[in-house]
Amino acid sequence: MYFVADVKENECAKYNCKQCVLFCPEPNCLNFKSSTNSAWVWYDRCKGCEICVYVCSDLLKRHCIEMVMVTPKATAKS
Amino acid sequence: MGLEYVRISPGFEKYMPRDYVDLVKYGPFGKQVDVMQMGQFKELVEEHPMCAGCYMAYFIRVFYAALPNPEDTIVLGTAGCARLALSQAAVPFIYGNYGDTNAVASGLKRALSIRFPDKVKDVVVIAGDGGLIDIGFGMTMHSWFRREKFTTIMVDNEVYGNTGGQESGMSPKGIQLKMAPLGKKFDKINAVELAKTAGCVYVARISPTNPKRIAKTIRRAILAARHFGPTFIHAYTSCNIEYSIPTREVLADARKREKQDFKFYEWMTDEVKEFFEELERKEKQEVKK
Repeated sequence: MYFVADVKENECAKYNCKQCVLFCPEPNCLNFKSSTNSAWVWYDRCKGCEICVYVCSDLLKRHCIEMVMVTPKATAKS
Repeated sequence: MGLEYVRISPGFEKYMPRDYVDLVKYGPFGKQVDVMQMGQFKELVEEHPMCAGCYMAYFIRVFYAALPNPEDTIVLGTAGCARLALSQAAVPFIYGNYGDTNAVASGLKRALSIRFPDKVKDVVVIAGDGGLIDIGFGMTMHSWFRREKFTTIMVDNEVYGNTGGQESGMSPKGIQLKMAPLGKKFDKINAVELAKTAGCVYVARISPTNPKRIAKTIRRAILAARHFGPTFIHAYTSCNIEYSIPTREVLADARKREKQDFKFYEWMTDEVKEFFEELERKEKQEVKK
């Protein structure tokens, strides 16, 4: 079980901000996909620090990122 | 060094690790990436063993995205947290003994300018407050007195984070740490003023709250070091473990400290100022064309 961030892509696509991507301390962990206009998390790289949640929910009040528990099997797919 | 060393020999593409192929295809080598595009290209630094929510790791991530020409850069580090991420990047990295980074960098920069007189090679030192201002103090100072042309970046976490939380010269006065239970009795060293006095031509103090500004500061420090002399950046990169900052509050802490004692500060000599004004004028003209 890992505690990782997960982006609600439908919610995220409404905005054009990328701020969570710019403040994540892990390289290529939070990425931006221009085809869906949303951020996405590479679960294997996420350490669960919640800085993106702070940026999205506390600073910008957009609430597009939530923390979830995933099993190694689920991470292997990404 | 140079772009040749990142290319994959023909026929070997399918045998190389995926990360390496991605780096050659989608990495920043040979093209100018903007730091605001982070997350849309393969970054130079790879997965690293630094703690969750470490803002030193964040500073290093932005640093690698901001390098003006990564293929001709050598990074030096020393014992301390920063080397954990610095050594995981696709840029040559030299690990100095504790405290001798600036002495190694002096020799390296001189050797590179003799070996490649027609090319620009950047040398950048990134070390912690212990490596530069405590244990490496003499070598740091003397490299500045000698006006060696390279950049020194201090990632200041205000503690010896690796070894359990001893106080460093950069810890704030009165702070109680795990291995300094009585509280620190002396003031935080004013590294920025020291650098100005010692002969640095560009000095900045920064808190990692604005990636664009970090990138601009780093680029300026590296460009000024190419032509004029030593440059120094003092960056606040909190240690969320030793200072017990919940990881979610790390950015909030950086913003708080920015308002208190890490307000953005930039100082440069007149000739460096002229150089940047000229450079920015040229860049604007190019954009207009």
